[in-house]
Amino acid sequence: MTTGQETAQEAPPPPEPGPLVKLLQELLPGVGFEIRETPLDETVTISRDNFAKVMETLKSHERLRFDYLRCLSGVDYLTELETVYHFYSYEHGHKLAVKVRCPYEDAHVPTVSHIWATANWHERETHEMYGIVFDGHPDLRPLLTEEGLGYYLLRKSHPLADIEEWQESYLSAIDEAKRQAAAAGGEAPPPMSKVAIAQAKAKVMKEARDKARSEGLSPEDEKAAVRAAIDKFNEDLASGQAGGAAAAPAPMSKVELAQAKAKVITKARSEARAKGMSTEDEKALVAEAIKKFSAEQEAGAAPATAAPKKEMSKVELAQAKAKVITKARSEARAQGMSTEDEKKFVAEALKKFSAEQGS
Amino acid sequence: MATTDYTIPGEHDLETLDIHVNVGPQHPATHGVFRMVLTIDGEVVTDVDPVIGYMHRGNEKLPENCDYRQVIGYHDRTDYLAQFNTEHCFVEAVEKLTGIVPTERSQYVRVILAELNRITSHLMFVGAFSTDIGIFGTAFMYAFRDREIVQEFFEEITGERMMYNYFRPGGVAWDVPDNFRERCNQVLDHIKKGIDDLEGLIVDNEVVLARCRGLSRMSTDDAINWGLSGPLLRSTGLAFDLRKAEPYSIYDRFDFDIPTGIDGDIYDRVLIRLEEMKQSVRIVEQALAEMPGGPIMAEGLKRVLRVPEGEIYMRVEGPRGEYGVYIVATGADKPYRHKVRGASFSNLSALRAMSVGNYVSDVIIILGSIDIVLCEVDR
Repeated sequence: MTTGQETAQEAPPPPEPGPLVKLLQELLPGVGFEIRETPLDETVTISRDNFAKVMETLKSHERLRFDYLRCLSGVDYLTELETVYHFYSYEHGHKLAVKVRCPYEDAHVPTVSHIWATANWHERETHEMYGIVFDGHPDLRPLLTEEGLGYYLLRKSHPLADIEEWQESYLSAIDEAKRQAAAAGGEAPPPMSKVAIAQAKAKVMKEARDKARSEGLSPEDEKAAVRAAIDKFNEDLASGQAGGAAAAPAPMSKVELAQAKAKVITKARSEARAKGMSTEDEKALVAEAIKKFSAEQEAGAAPATAAPKKEMSKVELAQAKAKVITKARSEARAQGMSTEDEKKFVAEALKKFSAEQGS
Repeated sequence: MATTDYTIPGEHDLETLDIHVNVGPQHPATHGVFRMVLTIDGEVVTDVDPVIGYMHRGNEKLPENCDYRQVIGYHDRTDYLAQFNTEHCFVEAVEKLTGIVPTERSQYVRVILAELNRITSHLMFVGAFSTDIGIFGTAFMYAFRDREIVQEFFEEITGERMMYNYFRPGGVAWDVPDNFRERCNQVLDHIKKGIDDLEGLIVDNEVVLARCRGLSRMSTDDAINWGLSGPLLRSTGLAFDLRKAEPYSIYDRFDFDIPTGIDGDIYDRVLIRLEEMKQSVRIVEQALAEMPGGPIMAEGLKRVLRVPEGEIYMRVEGPRGEYGVYIVATGADKPYRHKVRGASFSNLSALRAMSVGNYVSDVIIILGSIDIVLCEVDR
């Protein structure tokens, strides 16, 4: 009866490769296998460069023949993302876990859905929960949540509590970014849904048929005309989404300008309120600030638009805030505070954070 | 009824449009909140797009913020028809990571309850499935009559009808009642009779034969490729059962058979589940005979359970197939990563492969034969 906590802490010797890893090393020379000891399965970590080759071999080689992909999980290790594949071979009865890591900024892993059909949904889920893109996957729509959520639920940076506030600021930031992008470059029209395509097709067919009938064509010619219309429709659809993208030179600066102006106004107003000014005085102060801002703009100095230091985006801010909350809470728990005290502690941490941001 | 001899009329003969039909999410045939978008050409289904996620409650995220013992309750809420099996998986995983050895008596209790739970789950399947194929009434009522008896037995032991939360790392929460053996034998008598009744109703039933034979045949290779497990896999003729292939707990001590199918069609899937109930009865009988006395909880466990650094993918044979849990532990009192691999999840992903080319009414049966539990699919 051990709890395992007294396991030796001295320099860990490299784990002995099991029979399966030895076989892998023999069959795949030149591939580095980092071994990790786990109960039940033999576990190896491979690099992303070797990934596709190793996976192909696992399935196809007669001495391996891993035909059953039983589980595919993502893990967020804060510095890196990891995907874990658990395999079983019905023919040989051996089992293996393969892990591959990818950095946050480049969260791409080749798909295995063409090797194991079952990976299709598992990869979709891992993609939506961790933001790992499985290159070559036929259909990476989110599986469990709605489309366009914008954040990844199972990443550690996604907070569990106080989610409403976090979500609100995050989503509004995303909306704003989208608006800006739309103002800047004109948005590509969203791809048509299947139903919409079918409806559009039906319309085209009907028009072609009506036209043919009004011209008094023979049934044969009518059919041909409808066929031609459908072919044209399909062609258009395939080539589609060409328009729109090239439109509109970027009026980005305008948006920025408006934002800068808004910031000036907000700042002036909050200053006035802090000083306890009357409404009249406040208005005057704001007007003055705007005038000053406009003058600066015209003079071309524009210190307000060129942001003094790179400020945090709203998204980053929300994430930083979530981190502060989580940290404060775990600290409070570690100290064994009561729920009341914990709440207070978190609130204080938040206040401090806001103050730091303001300065 | 053969469904594969359907031919598409010549391309230019008739211009038709595919029609999209939404089935669900609020539809009795979808066994929970599940939606499928069928693309149909006449009566024949040409495409299926399953839409899931209506039951997503963060059952993987929440346990990452819970004490290990608190997580057990979340497993009840994944596969809510086989709660003991899911709990079994999780506590086994924790025990393997920590080195806790459960007591003999508690292992027997666990196996007995897990096998009885398999029976209730299959009874639920038989009841619901017979409704799907259009023999509503008798079979459904018979199945639920027997299920209720087992359910009451569970309630006597755990105090709960559904969310038992009874297994613990190291044993079970408290000892079973004194009359456990006697009551268990009573329950078994009921079940044995009930299974016979159901067999009489199902096996040679005209409706079942007409609608299930030869429908949605799957080859073993396809089944493996799609990651199918449990009765769906065994119906293709592969005798694979985790209780035998990778014996966990004390399953290696019992004598039981793995029923397999021949055709891989829906009819086989039904028969296999009927037979599995009988095998579960066999296991429970053996376990009852061998069950020792003694403590039900390992000694020396701390109030806060800290699991040393490590990871495990533990899997058990649930009624629907392989139920797995992948835990990454960092030495804290909470799991760092807690992934649930629901059998229904992988099984359901093959719905499109099973359904395309069949009639709309048959797709309902195919879906029913997978025996999905949406809480396990969406987590």
